[in-house]
Amino acid sequence: MSKFKKDGGKPAPAINTSSLPDIVFMLLFFFMVATTTKEIDPLVKVIPAQGVGVTDLTPFKQRSTVDFVYLGEPLAGDASKFDKGVAVQYDGLLHPDGINYIGRWKTAKFNEKPAEMTDPKENIITCFKADEKVPMGIIFTARDILRDLDFNSIAYSAAEMGNKNAYSIREQ
Amino acid sequence: MAKRVVPEINAGSMADIAFLLLIFFLVTTTMDKDTAYLRKIPKKVESLVTPPPVEEKNIYKIVINSKQVIQARDSIIKPEDISTLNSRIKHFYLINRGKKTDRALNYPYYAYGSKELYSTNLNNQFNRLDALEAQEVQDDRTQKMIEQTTAAIDKWQQKLNMMNLYTQYSGKQEMPEIAFEAHIRLESFVDTDYSAYVAVQSEVQRAVTELRDEESEALFGVSWTTMNRYIQTNALEDTPELRQYKKHAELIETLYPLSLIEVKPKR
Repeated sequence: MSKFKKDGGKPAPAINTSSLPDIVFMLLFFFMVATTTKEIDPLVKVIPAQGVGVTDLTPFKQRSTVDFVYLGEPLAGDASKFDKGVAVQYDGLLHPDGINYIGRWKTAKFNEKPAEMTDPKENIITCFKADEKVPMGIIFTARDILRDLDFNSIAYSAAEMGNKNAYSIREQ
Repeated sequence: MAKRVVPEINAGSMADIAFLLLIFFLVTTTMDKDTAYLRKIPKKVESLVTPPPVEEKNIYKIVINSKQVIQARDSIIKPEDISTLNSRIKHFYLINRGKKTDRALNYPYYAYGSKELYSTNLNNQFNRLDALEAQEVQDDRTQKMIEQTTAAIDKWQQKLNMMNLYTQYSGKQEMPEIAFEAHIRLESFVDTDYSAYVAVQSEVQRAVTELRDEESEALFGVSWTTMNRYIQTNALEDTPELRQYKKHAELIETLYPLSLIEVKPKR
C-alpha cells in the first residue's frame, strides 16, 4: 500500500531552461545599474554617523574630485599602537603617522595627476569617513593641515537617516 | 548550388557565462552610496588688524561637550532631544524677517534692498570709477582704488540682478536680506564624538534646507533640493535649463545663506 511508487509511470519531463540566460542577464543588468564599484577594501572599522539632508558624492566620484580618508579602529592588529586608538587609512594603507600624514598624501595625490586633468586645489574634496566614536580633535588637526595647503573643501561623511527619527549618539 | 545549412549554436552554456558575470559584479561592487556634508575651510588670512567683534545677536552659538551634551545659546539640549535644534535655528533665521519695527533685540536684523537703492549704489560706484580714471596722476594708490571700485560695481550689479529676479517672481519691491554677519558658530571639544558633531551638522543643514525649499517652492515652484541635485549631476553640461537653475539657486542661497563657523576645539 505504498503511496510512493519507486518505479514505473512516466519519467518527469525536462524543464525548459532556454529562458534561464534571459533571467540571469536581467539580474546582471540590475546589479550593474544599481551598484557602484568598490574603491578599496576597508582596513578600519567604520560605523557611519547618521544625518539628514546629506549630499550624494557620486557626481564628485565620477569626476574624481573627491579623496576619502577612513578613520576608525583597525580591523586587524593592536588598536593601542595608534594615537587614541584611531587608525587612519589612506588608499589601502594605515600610516603610522596617523593624521599628520594627510598633508603629504594630499600633495602627492595632487601632483601625480596630469596637469590638464586636475581641478583647482580648493575644489578637490577631502571626505572624512569616520567611525561614530572618533573624537573631533583628530579631524580638526586634519583641517588645520589642509587649510595650510589650500585644500579648502572638506566633507563629513554620514549615512542618510531615512525614516528613523533618532540619531545614534553615545551617551555617557 | 546547394543551400548551406547553418548549424544551430548551442546556447546551453549561456546561462553559465551570465552567472559568471553576475557573480563578478556582485563581488566587486557595493550598494551603499557615499553621502556627506560638504563644507569649506575658510582661507588663511594673514592680517595684523583684528576685525571688530561681531555683535552677540548675530551669533547662534552651539557648543557640544565631550559628553555629547549640547548647549545652544542659553539652553541645554540632551542628546536625545537634538532634533529640536532644527526649529531653534529656523527661529533664529525667521524671527525678524519682514519686520522693520518691533524687532526681537537678541536676533539678527534684516536689511531691505530695493531696485532704487541698488541702482543708486551702482551709479555712485560708476561715477567714482570715472573720477578715478580721469585723474591726471596715476599712482599705486589710485590703481588700488580702481580695483576696489570695480569689485564694488560687480557686487552691486549682482545684487541688482538678483533683485530683478526676485521682483519678477514674487512681485515684491523689497528683498529681505539677513544681516551679513549673522552666522551659526559651532564649537566642540577635542573628545566630542564624530556622530554628535555630524548630528548637529545635520540639524543645521536640515533647518537651512527646509527654509530654502519653502522659499523656492513659493517663488519658482521647484524646491531648492531638486535644483541643486540637477546642478550637481549635470555640472559639465551647458543647457539653458542649467543656467536658469543656477541663477535661481543663487538667489535662494542669498536669501537664506548657510554661514557656519566651525571653531577649533581648545580642550
